[in-house]
Amino acid sequence: MSDLEKIKEKKKLWEEKVLKPALERFKLEKSPNKFYTPLDVEGFDFLKNVGFPGAYPFTAGTYPLLPYTVVATKGSLPSAKGLVRAAGYSGYGTPEDTRDYYKEYQKRGLRGGPNLAFDLPTQCGFDSDNPMVRGEVGKVGVAVDTFKDFEIIYEAYQGELDLDKIASNFTINAPANIIIAFYAALAEKRGISLSKLRATPQNDILKEYIARGTYIFPPRPAMRMFRDSVVFLTKYMPKVNVTSIGGYHIREAGATREQDLAFSMAIGMEYLKCGVDAGLDIDDFAPKFTFNAFGGSMELFKEVAFQRAARRMWAKILKEKFGAKNFRSMLIRQPLAAHVGCSSTTVQRPLNNLTRAVVGAIAGALSGGPPNVYPPYDEPLGLGWSLEARQLAEDASRILQFEAKLTEVIDPLAGSYYVESLTDEIENAAWKELEKIDAMGGVISAIENGYLQREIARSAHERQQKIEKGEILIVGVNCFTGESELEVTVNRMVPHPYDETKREEAEERQIKKLAEIKRSRDSRLVNQLLSELKEKAKNESENLIPHFIECAKAYVTLQEMCDVLREVFGEYEPVGI
Amino acid sequence: MESKRPIKVLIAKPGLDGHDRGAKVVALGLRDEGMEVIYSGLRQTPEKIVQAAVQEDVDVVGLSCLSGAHKYLFSEVVCQLKEHGKGDTLVICGGIIPEKDIPMLKETGISEVFGPGTSVKKIAQFIRENVKESSLAGD
Repeated sequence: MSDLEKIKEKKKLWEEKVLKPALERFKLEKSPNKFYTPLDVEGFDFLKNVGFPGAYPFTAGTYPLLPYTVVATKGSLPSAKGLVRAAGYSGYGTPEDTRDYYKEYQKRGLRGGPNLAFDLPTQCGFDSDNPMVRGEVGKVGVAVDTFKDFEIIYEAYQGELDLDKIASNFTINAPANIIIAFYAALAEKRGISLSKLRATPQNDILKEYIARGTYIFPPRPAMRMFRDSVVFLTKYMPKVNVTSIGGYHIREAGATREQDLAFSMAIGMEYLKCGVDAGLDIDDFAPKFTFNAFGGSMELFKEVAFQRAARRMWAKILKEKFGAKNFRSMLIRQPLAAHVGCSSTTVQRPLNNLTRAVVGAIAGALSGGPPNVYPPYDEPLGLGWSLEARQLAEDASRILQFEAKLTEVIDPLAGSYYVESLTDEIENAAWKELEKIDAMGGVISAIENGYLQREIARSAHERQQKIEKGEILIVGVNCFTGESELEVTVNRMVPHPYDETKREEAEERQIKKLAEIKRSRDSRLVNQLLSELKEKAKNESENLIPHFIECAKAYVTLQEMCDVLREVFGEYEPVGI
Repeated sequence: MESKRPIKVLIAKPGLDGHDRGAKVVALGLRDEGMEVIYSGLRQTPEKIVQAAVQEDVDVVGLSCLSGAHKYLFSEVVCQLKEHGKGDTLVICGGIIPEKDIPMLKETGISEVFGPGTSVKKIAQFIRENVKESSLAGD
């Protein structure tokens, strides 16, 4: 008899002799608990399914070592600050405000480049003086209208922190190529070679149609913009990452774990195809793809399995579908791994969000990411985290790493019958969904026909129904809300380095400055550059980034460029629900 | 009672904020509750929202914003509704609305602010209790 047959027999016996009496005793029809055995991972092959960390298929981990533990081992504890890299996402009011914010943080010891948040008008290709964007200038990020604004922000980054010594992050999608051009123009002005620049533009336009919503053009011309970036960056700015693919946003918009994985992979594949179609060698550009933190639920084991499945799936896609040979092409590089997602946080008894985020950080550590306690507990209370919440989040990460020693072992759940079977299950479900998208003609068609958008809305709706029926429980929201529960409130006492009153008048200051720039620039040159842009945009084979750089130097505004492109490309019309 | 027509609701996203999960979930949920729901889609100006509210002759306008631009955008919608003779429309809102902004919003004429974690049932109940009875009588 084989081992599996023996287990099968023993399992049957256990069910009859041990489990059944227990169920009868508690008058249960079915066990509320599950127990996994080798029967659930039949055919499990360690080398094929898991492998070693930093080796194909990367299930166990992206790298042979956990990068952030290396830093801490070398004895420089403070620089383990990399743990909360994502918490540096910042951009306040006007470029002047943001520059001063960074200067203030540099006084407190901040090193490294900015992780820039742009306001919504910038992300949607509108200038601050457009009446349509009233009330939004300088909120959720910094307002950027012209190259001048980039010059101002980066006044905080000179000398030891000049552009060739830092890495910048830009959360920008539809007008990503214009922002890349601003950065390139700034480097040129400072006499720094483009080849030395390090940065990560988000540049993940396809997810904007299904989550997050900062699209401008329809998907197909938007992919032409993507092509321009992948070609230009590979050729002239090889240290700049091409994209940061956002699984996180898709989940936050309501997608299930399996949908999130499938949709993200489908989007990633479309970008890879775009580079290949433009004549690039897959191994010349795929290593510059990054991901924006897969994750987004409280279900710890499933999130661990998700990370493992994602790594294995992406590696397979690169190797088997795109013929990549360089292992660097096959890696899921992301700033943090598993986490609970902001949509798991509650405004009710908000300190509970710290507990929630710690669960996410444990999932992060167990799945090869940093034990990143994210988001800070006051995330749902309003724009911006308090310093107290950030301190607690950072401390919790440190406690998990240095006191609980959660990061000593890589992929500690490898070989667990439960986690291995979950990993297979999630991956298989995602492949199935991917086939469905393929059958529709690929991810762009699935966006154009509204399939992805409807699926995500449906999943969000179903989850809400389950919450209202009490099938999904959220502490303090739909259960444990009785009068005997204590409402724990929070006070934000430590002043934030960005003074709120500045934000109130940021719009006015930014509009005034923009008017001044428009008055003082060479308007004949601006008009000439804009009509040239129109001609170049009409020519599908033209790469527009070099021209954006010329426009940047002449202080053509972001909206002026986008308006020309709107004329040529059209605008995206969302589908109904 | 049976002659009453269903309550007509416009769920709208003013401004540039793209977080539409909440708006869509509320729209679909209110449909389940038997209401007739129109969802505006993203990036609506207050003018466009009011125009849709007038054209569709809705009983309720539900506004959602998570970008912090709610103070200006929500009050604009309420003001313009009044200007267009739709001052009796029940206006409710949701999103990330800091507690300190709620009194100001209610003063402008927003009837209720439904924050994260609110059940759609509760919103539906509020709408039924507060929408103007006269406007629903079948004719």
